[in-house]
Amino acid sequence: MRVGVHMCRGNWSKKDGVHLSGDYTPLVGAFEQMHVRQLVLEFATPRAGDIDVVGRALAGRELGLGVVNQRSDQVETVESIVEKVERALQYFSPAQIFMNPDCGFGTFAQRCMSDERTAVEKMRRIVQAARVLRERYH
Amino acid sequence: MFTVTQVGSWPRSEKLLGALAERQQGRITRREFEALADGEVRRAVALQLEAGVDIVVDGEQRRDNFYSFLTEKLDGTRLMTLAELEDRPSFRQTLVKLDVPAEAIKNATCVGKLARREPLAVRELEFVRTLTDRPVKVPLPGPYLLSRSMWVKSLSEKAYGSQEEMTDDVVGILRDELKELKAAGCQFVQFDEPVLSDVVFAAKGDATKFF
Repeated sequence: MRVGVHMCRGNWSKKDGVHLSGDYTPLVGAFEQMHVRQLVLEFATPRAGDIDVVGRALAGRELGLGVVNQRSDQVETVESIVEKVERALQYFSPAQIFMNPDCGFGTFAQRCMSDERTAVEKMRRIVQAARVLRERYH
Repeated sequence: MFTVTQVGSWPRSEKLLGALAERQQGRITRREFEALADGEVRRAVALQLEAGVDIVVDGEQRRDNFYSFLTEKLDGTRLMTLAELEDRPSFRQTLVKLDVPAEAIKNATCVGKLARREPLAVRELEFVRTLTDRPVKVPLPGPYLLSRSMWVKSLSEKAYGSQEEMTDDVVGILRDELKELKAAGCQFVQFDEPVLSDVVFAAKGDATKFF
């Protein structure tokens, strides 16, 4: 059984500015000490900073890479998702990379971040991007 | 490779939100709520399978939020809104500024000795496994989150001498859950630790702290 840890900077509002901001530098030490196989981290929101911080220190782990922002109504393009994963490929192998949204679509029941149609569309785009990547890096 | 999955929660339908409110007010039975939620999980899983994801989640359809649902499973807990927990005007102003819905965000507060009445997520897992052969991911609230969120000094110290003492029980409960999920065939458990970001990114006394 795989055990992972997910961390995010808040998921209670669609107003992006109210959430916390900063790259993973101050957390790398804590992540290194955790006996978990996977880190599930935000990377779609620019508030999470660059992949290099995590890539340099934690390349031995699996990475649950946040590739779409569940708080935005705009559906990401397949190209933008592929591009994000290719940045992570500088540090992680295709087997180590898992693709997911930054966080849940409805962390608090009464405060869903997307309607269901948008959520479905975002998941479809991630699947399409994964197909492109598998073709390119098999 | 390039395994596609989700972090955990899926949007709730109006019908489900209505049933959740009725359940919390005691106007429908747990059995009635679970029967309705079964249908919602079925839809959430079907949509994921249609989209083509590799590891499926149940969408947390049975949960009020990713940690408050523990009040359904643990003795020694009470479901409380942020508004009930903290009524200082300055705190309320902070919540408004941060767009935090104080009445809608609920917490599993420790008000007694913590003990598992039933597994936290084994039933969620077992139900999803009746719908698909794909691997299932089960999200659970992490030990650090719970050590912070469950401890409300004035209410929790009747049962525990310290926050650390309560946390030992939290860890024991999560360990037991991990063992049972593994035995039930779970392939992936994800611990949610959003409060870590609060520790490092929010300055002391910062307006963005609400845990």
